[in-house]
Amino acid sequence: MSTLLFRYVPGNSFLHMLDPRVKITAMLVASISIFMSSTFREMAAILLVFYLLLLISSVSPRVVFGSLRPMLIFLALIFTLQLFLTGGDPLFSLMGLDATYQGLVKGSLLILRFILLLMFASLLTATTSPSMMTAGIERMLRPLPSRKFGISSFDLATMMFLSLHFVPLLYESFNHLRDSQISRGLDAKKNPARALYSLSVPMIRTAFSSAEDVAVAMESRCYQGHHRSSLHEPQLRKKDLLSLLFFAIVMLLVI
Amino acid sequence: MSIVVRDVNFRYNPGTSLERTALEDVSLSIGRGEFVLIGGAIGSGKSTLIRHFNGLLRPCSGQVTVDGMQASEKKVRSRVGMLFQFPRQQLFGRTVFEELAFGPKNFGLRGPEIEKQVHYALELLGLGKDISAESPLRLSGGQKRLVAIAGVLACRPEYLVLDEPLSGLDAENKSLLISALRLLNSNGITIIVVSHRVSDMLSLADHVYWLDRGRLVFSGTPAEYAGHGSLPLPEITCLMKELRTRGFDVRGDIFDTDEAFREISRMLGPKRVTGATEQ
Repeated sequence: MSTLLFRYVPGNSFLHMLDPRVKITAMLVASISIFMSSTFREMAAILLVFYLLLLISSVSPRVVFGSLRPMLIFLALIFTLQLFLTGGDPLFSLMGLDATYQGLVKGSLLILRFILLLMFASLLTATTSPSMMTAGIERMLRPLPSRKFGISSFDLATMMFLSLHFVPLLYESFNHLRDSQISRGLDAKKNPARALYSLSVPMIRTAFSSAEDVAVAMESRCYQGHHRSSLHEPQLRKKDLLSLLFFAIVMLLVI
Repeated sequence: MSIVVRDVNFRYNPGTSLERTALEDVSLSIGRGEFVLIGGAIGSGKSTLIRHFNGLLRPCSGQVTVDGMQASEKKVRSRVGMLFQFPRQQLFGRTVFEELAFGPKNFGLRGPEIEKQVHYALELLGLGKDISAESPLRLSGGQKRLVAIAGVLACRPEYLVLDEPLSGLDAENKSLLISALRLLNSNGITIIVVSHRVSDMLSLADHVYWLDRGRLVFSGTPAEYAGHGSLPLPEITCLMKELRTRGFDVRGDIFDTDEAFREISRMLGPKRVTGATEQ
């Protein structure tokens, strides 16, 4: 089994070589721009920027779209709710509910925002190795006064890294479980309640037991969150800062 | 009637830098009532291959048919029962009965029919009726696996496919499971076992297939497998072959210790063997 969900794709592209802090900040800039954009034209411009970044990264578009697939149901639900629950000029009726033109526009813009966000996040994880990601997050969080609350930046970075790391693992476990239940005749379309129960109960148990296994494995290898060295020490160079500046200007011009 | 795999090719993540060929021109045929072993190193494509048997995966090219039907047809799912690695992770029912009734309910059976199927599965595996009221999560590792198998058997499959069924089991539970599989096979159910370590079940198998990096490199009987020379053999078979090459009059195609004991006893004569270990 092999999943493309938020996978790291090893490579030597310009994006792969950038400092992780720059890429994480750029992701934040992109997120702000995406949420500030309010027209299809602005969205199309952001999509164009994304496409150029994808070309620079040499990451296959399938890797990015592979991350979108599991979210399709969620996106479809958001779109449907917006379509039917927004007031305005009616387009058609379904079970007593009116789909409106305004709902269509609002729903399309909303799911486009989510799609763009997921695509940028997927590009970030595809071009940044997990260890670099952890190191980057840790360096960014270090100036925060989190120690006053009993949490070190190392703890926070490790938590974030593990959360990211667990997404594809849990997705693979889910696929495995789904295959098992489908083999016993489960048809999610015919009986969604049974599907939800038969998949969620073992899935929650697997998630808890995997988390416990990781915690025990880390503790047995002397993990302590106070201070840890890093295998790859990120180096912030002039070209990293210039790249971030350039990206921020482009995104500002776009919206 | 049988499972027929013809020139199957399968690739994960095609068209990406993460593309990986899992199966290459694989062709095989599994007859009704057979006990088949599919071996190969980890990552050789075994699990990918069996996922084609009930349409969970569809080949990039080639064809898989089950009793003449395309494996992707929904009807095939009730014929080909599949049990994946770590089956205890799939358990979710409050009781064993509820767990076992899941499959029959999905296939549209009702009240008394479901009960009949559940009891059929419990009986077939020698699990008492008392177990049906217990929580499957409170059972021992070996029992959990048997309950997971019973969950598949309750759908009355004609083919039972098991992915690494012995991994993580102790000797006692291994022998329990092997006996159960032997029993199921004698009841006419076709058994297909996938394992990177075929030694535990060679003595039961009618046919052995070996995959190497997605290619089928061996197909033959266990005796032919033992004579192949470059495929991994059970320690006991190696010992018997070594004895044979050193001039002892013993068979080389022996795969379990009980049979080896009997063979050595025959060679030495009954008076020479003491402290019998045969169970």
